[in-house]
Amino acid sequence: MKNILIILVCKIIGWISRIFNLGSGSTWPGHIALSLNKKFIRQVINGNSHLKIIIIAGTNGKTTSTALLRHLLEKSGHRVFTNSEGANLLNGVASSIIKNSNYVSKLNFDYVIFESDELNLPILLKEISPDKILILNLFRDQLDRYGEVNSIALKWLESLKTIDSRTEVFINGDDPQLYHIGTMLSGKVKYFGIEKKLMKLKYVPNDVDSIYCPVCLSLLKYDQLSYAHLGDFYCGNCQFKRGEVNDFSNIKIHYPMSGLYNVYNTNAILLLLKSLNIVIPAKAGIQNKWLSEFTPSFGRQEEIIYKKRRVFILLSKNPAGFNQSIQTVYEMVKNKKANFLIILNNRIPDGLDVSWIWDVNFKPILDVANNIYVAGDRVYDMNLRLRYEGSKNNIDTFVDLPKAVDAIVKKTKKGEKFYILPTYSAMLEVRKILLGRKLL
Amino acid sequence: MNINIGWLYPDLMNTYGDRGNIIALGYWLKKMGIEPVINKISVNEPADLIPKMDIIFMGGAQDKQQEIVNKDLKNNKGKYLKEAIISGIPGLYVCGAYQFLGKYYKEADGNIIDGIGIFDVYTESPGMNIPRCIGNIVIESKLFSGTQLLGFENHGGRTYLADKKQAFANIIKGNGNNGEDGTEGFFYKNSIGSYMHGPILPKNPEVALFLIKKAVDRKYGKSVKLKKLNDKWENKAREFVLSNL
Repeated sequence: MKNILIILVCKIIGWISRIFNLGSGSTWPGHIALSLNKKFIRQVINGNSHLKIIIIAGTNGKTTSTALLRHLLEKSGHRVFTNSEGANLLNGVASSIIKNSNYVSKLNFDYVIFESDELNLPILLKEISPDKILILNLFRDQLDRYGEVNSIALKWLESLKTIDSRTEVFINGDDPQLYHIGTMLSGKVKYFGIEKKLMKLKYVPNDVDSIYCPVCLSLLKYDQLSYAHLGDFYCGNCQFKRGEVNDFSNIKIHYPMSGLYNVYNTNAILLLLKSLNIVIPAKAGIQNKWLSEFTPSFGRQEEIIYKKRRVFILLSKNPAGFNQSIQTVYEMVKNKKANFLIILNNRIPDGLDVSWIWDVNFKPILDVANNIYVAGDRVYDMNLRLRYEGSKNNIDTFVDLPKAVDAIVKKTKKGEKFYILPTYSAMLEVRKILLGRKLL
Repeated sequence: MNINIGWLYPDLMNTYGDRGNIIALGYWLKKMGIEPVINKISVNEPADLIPKMDIIFMGGAQDKQQEIVNKDLKNNKGKYLKEAIISGIPGLYVCGAYQFLGKYYKEADGNIIDGIGIFDVYTESPGMNIPRCIGNIVIESKLFSGTQLLGFENHGGRTYLADKKQAFANIIKGNGNNGEDGTEGFFYKNSIGSYMHGPILPKNPEVALFLIKKAVDRKYGKSVKLKKLNDKWENKAREFVLSNL
């Protein structure tokens, strides 16, 4: 079937499924398009050679980075579309193409940004040849679903070796394993990182995956550490060491979100923009104005007003991400006290295994917590985790999430802030309660 | 009173949250008024620390990490660990660590990696196209009869026992050693090999208390009475998950 016809049919299917609320409108049309024509994505993309394609991959920060890049591209006058969050598989990519295409399969946009999860990067790269690929980070995440970090790294390396030589790859140069992947590629590779004065960790934490030399397998050493296994690393046994990274230490940047992980995300996007020759006016003022106008994606340092309380939600779904959330709220609350609600689910999008919470360091939360509430499918696991961390607080434990929300609201004064740290499905669930409707 | 916990390769065999077992041992010991002394023993630490420990723990990891550990065990620490296990030092060896204690691990391509051979088991990779054993696992062990133990397994290798009577437990739900013979783990002297992550000790306090009891008996004599502790939340956590399986 001609792609023009496929697009028409699938657009109609998309409308119908949205009108009647039949499952997820964001992946159905793509699923059907791909079953009618396996080469659908490739062919439509190839027919739109004006379109610049950017892929963003990594464990944490994909959604935030995609949104930030989109925001800055649009601010500088470009038309952008993306696959919707969570629609990382090929059918999500195809759906975004259908949705944004006109009836003659033209995509009237300047840029498309495809967000890709760990497993889908190699699959996506078989279909399309992007202009830029951004690799944010690689941490352990849902081991029962994605598998181990080293096997993902190997798949990424094999896949990245096959890409077109004109494709430019942007890699986190503070991550030893990813940096090593970069050095193995023959094409254009640029590295981003953060400036050393921001690296303040005193010891190698336990949520690390890549602290052994990828070349000779010796334990790596760090002059400075930022978080997890990211930092200024070198091998004491062979020549392997961190290379030059773009850390933007020479300009003053207004970082739009808190936390070290968002310094990485922002620097990555600024480096990418630089290579697109999108000159954000040299005066830092405009760039910072645009950055300050950025609104975080839902659940990522999102603030919601609920019953006159300020609710701050930080999605926390794997050890490195959770530790960064904790560090971020700790810095925010420091010297004061606040109430916390931690929600641990173990549905498909969270990973079924909750063992990973034992790789998270909860101590900083205990230090700044007034009242701690726990909820979720695996609420008692979280209760145990906090008690075993040495919590002296009473851990208020709720099997029923709405009751947990009521309880924390009751204990928080009007106008004051409390913090929610949920896993992915828990984040959707709690937003539904706070906003009174399901809103993505 | 103190108990020395030897944590083998904490920076390498640390992928699956097994650190929770160390946290649980420390938690219970403190509650009993016994000081837990945690000794991290990795590649750069001396091997002769191992037999000086009162409890030994080692967790699971990724293949590349296991390669590094395998080399260190073979050239250096393996014989000390073997000696420690034979002498009856209680220990818990999860997933990759459990496989190391067996005779060998046969990779998908037929390549054989020798283990330290203290457990009479061997492990085989079923090949790339056979799915890993992933999911909740419920077992019953004769060491804790009448109690269902709960964990989460995630392993590719299938382990086979020379004598099934030496298994740590029987499977109620899940795969355990190989998904075929209904066994899970291995028990020898005071050492437990198991595929149970979760991690195993926080939600199965009887296993933690078993290791502590054995360690205290060896170090301070059997006359020492351990303080009985409240494990309400632990049991609740386990029952809550079991009732939803």
